[in-house]
Amino acid sequence: MAEAVFALCALTSLACAALLLRSYRATRARLLLWSSVCFVGLALDNILLCIDLIVVPDIDLSLARALLALTSVLCINVGLIWDSK
Amino acid sequence: MSLATTIVWSATAMGSVTAGLFFLRFWRDSRDRLFLVFALAFFVLSLNWLTLVAAPAATETHHFAYFIRLVAFILLLVGIVDKNRR
Repeated sequence: MAEAVFALCALTSLACAALLLRSYRATRARLLLWSSVCFVGLALDNILLCIDLIVVPDIDLSLARALLALTSVLCINVGLIWDSK
Repeated sequence: MSLATTIVWSATAMGSVTAGLFFLRFWRDSRDRLFLVFALAFFVLSLNWLTLVAAPAATETHHFAYFIRLVAFILLLVGIVDKNRR
């Protein structure tokens, strides 16, 4: 059950990242680029979560995941502050 | 879960709330429901990170945090698909 949730998190976040990247390519809106970067980072975080908790459960990757998530959220905040009107 | 991870997750939760507030303001100004969905999603994501900080790794609650994360991403997907259809 938990593994299914982790996998679904990774898949849905990848789908979000892909849709946002597609929207950015169509509109060239910079905020969409920042959002895309954020969601690519969150997707990588979710993939790393699957690796951390399923593939290598004896190695703690929580700090790496946390730093990846923080970087992603920082990206969207930079975009919102810098490139929104 | 180390102290460093706790601090970083807490900062991420705060960043997520900030992003949510920005999107809430955009929704207030434009009334575009995509912004409302993004705001809600980022608030739910911050709840995810706060739950991870609050719950010890060995408990069921810890895994429940990832279910909260899934809800946030589903919300985002629904919002993006809805916007693309309009």
